[in-house]
Formats: sequence, C-alpha cells, structure tokens
Amino acid sequence: MGVPIMSRSPSIATLALAALLAATLAAVGCSSSKKVSTTPPPPPAPEQTTESEAPPPPPPPSSDQATEGKTSLSDAFFDFDDASLRSDAKTTLENNARYLENHGSAKAVVEGHCDERGSVEYNLALGERRAKAAKEFLVSYGIAGVRLTTISYGKERPFDSGHDESSWAKNRRAHFVSK
Amino acid sequence: MDLNTSSSARLRAIPWLLLALALFGPVSAAAQTDVRIGIQASGTVKSPLYLARFRAEGGAQGVADEARGVVRRDFELSGVFAVADVDPLREKLTPDPTQTGSVRVEGLVAPAAAGMFRFTGEVFDLGTAESVFRRSYPFGQSDLRVVMHRFNDDVLEALTGERGIAETRIAFIRQDGRYKEVWVADYDGQNARQLTHDRSLALSPAWAPWGTEIAFTTFKRGNPDLYLFDQKRGASYPFSTRPGLNTAPCYSPDGKWIACTLSRDGNAEIYIISRDAQTARRLTRNERIDSSPSFSPTGREIVFTSDRSGSPQVYVMDTEGSNQRLLTLEGKYNDSPQWSPKGDKIVYASRHDAVFDVIVMDSNGQNPVQVTYDAGHNENPRWSADGRKIYFSSSRLGKRQIFMMNPDGSDVVQLTQGEDTFNPAVGPRPRKQSTQPTSG
Repeated sequence: MGVPIMSRSPSIATLALAALLAATLAAVGCSSSKKVSTTPPPPPAPEQTTESEAPPPPPPPSSDQATEGKTSLSDAFFDFDDASLRSDAKTTLENNARYLENHGSAKAVVEGHCDERGSVEYNLALGERRAKAAKEFLVSYGIAGVRLTTISYGKERPFDSGHDESSWAKNRRAHFVSK
Repeated sequence: MDLNTSSSARLRAIPWLLLALALFGPVSAAAQTDVRIGIQASGTVKSPLYLARFRAEGGAQGVADEARGVVRRDFELSGVFAVADVDPLREKLTPDPTQTGSVRVEGLVAPAAAGMFRFTGEVFDLGTAESVFRRSYPFGQSDLRVVMHRFNDDVLEALTGERGIAETRIAFIRQDGRYKEVWVADYDGQNARQLTHDRSLALSPAWAPWGTEIAFTTFKRGNPDLYLFDQKRGASYPFSTRPGLNTAPCYSPDGKWIACTLSRDGNAEIYIISRDAQTARRLTRNERIDSSPSFSPTGREIVFTSDRSGSPQVYVMDTEGSNQRLLTLEGKYNDSPQWSPKGDKIVYASRHDAVFDVIVMDSNGQNPVQVTYDAGHNENPRWSADGRKIYFSSSRLGKRQIFMMNPDGSDVVQLTQGEDTFNPAVGPRPRKQSTQPTSG
C-alpha cells in the first residue's frame, strides 16, 4: 500500500448505450409478429405449385444408400410437413405392390425420410408417418404386413445434401430397401 | 495481503437482488428506492463491473493473468455485467454515489504449498466503497478454469441472489462423417469432448438433474432407441428399446421420470417412463404427432409439440395427460418448446417466411417475442440453468453451430465451431450431494 495514485475508472457509458440500443432493436423487431389463424395452414408455396396435378416424381437418387439393397421397388415422395400420399406416390406404390405380388418371397424395409427443415424430433415422427403410410397402402393392396418393416430416419440421412426445394423434394420420401 | 483493507466480506441485503428479476421485465417502482443499477431497456440490465488486473505474489503473475482472463469472459458472458478493465487499487476506496450500482473486482494469486496456488477475490460496491464479497480459493494449474468459474458463480450469487452458470456444462450432437455423436463441453463451449463413440446416429441429448447421466436417442442397434449415458462409468446402456420411435427424452425435475416420444402403439405419442422401473405411462392419444415434451419446473405440467391441428404447435398438459390445450396462438409452425427454470416463460422455435427463429413467450402462451432475426435458421432453444441465457443452434454461418444469447436476443455468442453441431442440452448446476433418486 501507499502508492498514491488511484487507478482511474474509465467511463462505461458507451457500453451501457450499446446494450440499450441492442435491447431496443430487439423490442422493436418483436412487435412486428403477425396474427395468424390457428386453422391448419396450406403447405408452403413451392410445394403448392403442383398440388392439383400429379407431379413427376423426382429422379431416383444416385447415392450409395439407394443402391445398398438391390430392389425394383421405387420410392414414394411427399409434400413438406405432410405424410399423405400424393397421386404420384400412389402410382409408385401400386407398381411396388405389383412387384411384391410377383415376388412373393421379397421383403422390404420402408424408410421414412424428411427434408432438413424442422426439429430432429418432429421429423423422426414425421418420417415414421410417411413410412407407415406407404406400408399401409401396400397392405391395403393385399401385401402381407409381415413382409414390410418400417423405420424413420427423420432428416438425419438425406439423399441430397442441398438446401433448396429440389433437394428437399428428393429427401421427403418413403425409401424401399430389400431385405 | 494488500487487497483493499476495508471491512470483512460482509454480504448485505443488496439491491442487486433486483438484477435477477429485472432480466425478465421492468423492476417494480416499489423496489428498493435509492439504487439504480445500470441501464434498463427491454428487460436487459447491465451493471458496470470494473475488473482490476489481478495482483500476484511469488512470480505467479502469469497464472494470475490467465485466471483473470477466464473470469473476465465469465463476467461478460453472464449477461449481467458490462466489464471494463482497470489497474489494481492502490489505496482505499472512497464512496462515490455517482457510481452506485457499479462494482469493482480485485484479485490476488499467491503460491501455496506443493505447487498449488491461492486465489483471493474481492468485490466492492463503488457507491458505498464497501466490500460486498470476499473469498479465497486454493487451486492447482489443472483446475484454474474450474475455480474461476466458481468465483464467477459465487459473485453472481452474492450480488444478484442467483448463482451463475459458469460451473454448468452443455451437451450437443456433432456430425462426424455419416455419424452423429454426443459431445459435452463447459458452459461456454470450451473443453469440448466426444462422449459417445457408437459410429451411429445419436440425437436429442437430455441431462439428468443430478448431472452425471445423459439420455439420448441412438440408432446403434438399428432402431431409434433411448439410451442413458453414465458419465461415471463412461458407458451407455439401453433405457427404452420399444418397437418404433424412442425419442425426445426429457427428465422430470425430480429425476424420477423421463418424458419421451414412443410410437409402440401406432404413432408418435408422449409417455413418461419411470427412470428406475422403466414402466411407461401414455399421456397423449390422437392420430397425429405428439413429441418434444418438456416438464415445467414444478414437474406438474408438460409442454410439447403436436400437429393435431394440421401443423406443429405448442401444447401444454398436466403430467397425468389431462387438460391438454393449445398454447401458441401465432405462427403456422411452432416446435421444440422448453419451460424456463423459473417457470414464467416458454421458449420454442417457429417457422415463418421459410426460416426458423427462436420465440420466447409467457408460459400461458401470451406475449410471444421473436428474439432471433435475419440470421439463418435458429432452432433447438434451451434455457441455461439460471434462465439468464438461451442456448440454440443456428445456421447463420453455414453449418449449424451452438450459440448463446440473452432471453431478449442480445449478446449472441458462438460457442462451437467445425462440423455440423446442434441439439444443445444444458446440464444442472453442480450439487453438493450428487445423488440419483431412488424409485418412487
């Protein structure tokens, strides 16, 4: 002790102002949220453009995952946040059903997949709904349920790693892997 | 000892208690009259903290500087302080009413026996010039960070009545080629290390309240199963391997239950499973998706996601499954809710205009406030143990990384780097008695 000079405290007004500014900006932005009806929303625009006509299914993937199990079963594709079967998906699944009829010993795993948007947990559930929707269609066609098992990978195993609608469309699928 | 000679470390009933409250809203005018702490705007209060360069004895200046660097970052990340650097005190402080609400932190590192050190930290209220906190901590080089984190948390507790989170840890999922594994790190992302090495898909980690166990989903046996990782044993073991989904785990506050999503009965429904008996009780019943349960801090209610209305929305129910009702009244797509530690808020992710952002609302569904903006997708929000911070994943810089911010969206800090990283989970504060619950 005994050193005579006490350290000077620098002004922190600048810091405080910055905090004030940031907080104010946040508050201003918040007020812009819109009132939205709680009724079920339509799917987002990109998927809507082809909603009335059966869209052509996206090209089959070339990734190694698609060829892991050799299969003549094709994949069914879905709209965003939707597990209902589009008309093109039904056409694909009818073809799959005929294949399974003609190959009475064939068994398959139906994998449910999603695009990258949304939470891990919700997409695991959504992928399961897609896989089950595909399986149920085949069962209703007359295929024995024991020949088809389902699993969901959610959004964790995308076929196309892109971040646009063309990639997402390929990733929203029920993917068939022969057992 | 040449820290300031003022009276012993006496903790007064300081108006700083207001700080904790003020973080979530304006302080009542009735509150303790004569003190203004920092600047208050939109619920954010920052108190000036003048952090002196730590003094050292016995050639320990390098250690002292390193220790100061650790706690300086802690003070800054706390969201409570605006930190300014100053030289150490050379003479006794005098009261300065214009500095009321500001504090000054002094530190001294001295060598102790057997290669150890002793850190002594002291905090002064500049308004009164009185010492309001003083404590000594022995430490070795290897636990310097731990001790300084503890000092930060002690100071926050002394000044605000609410401990800091610097001693807590986080878990998250990181991609490794085709695999995804559970990682753990300090609260600020430092000391990250890989926990699982399953070479599979690990997802959705959740921390047990006693801090040594992490529940997570893994595909390592082919199906999305729930496993519990025991950090004491360094190994995981199966918890729920029912057919279909075993996902989205969340421990009850008492640790006796794990809420999760199972689809054994046909589609994704929420269950609670006894942590010890592993018996499952179903809480939701509908044809659509129910997922992502999160207990209220009392354990009496569960907030969750359901798309029963056609798109994902946030709902709440009693822990028995009764009284299910919609909470989110705005937005077409709301998911990943989590209850705040104090119970007054719920944070969730909302999809709007093709992006995801973090929203904070009152726990009754009122006053939703968007707190992330114009910065990629912002998802997986999780409260810190003290509710002063929100962890989240963001794609604002490309691959997803873990970030932390104040609940009003200010002070965004990136905590991880490298491969795709998401699903932050926040650990509890260290407990003196780290015991697991028994069956009940």
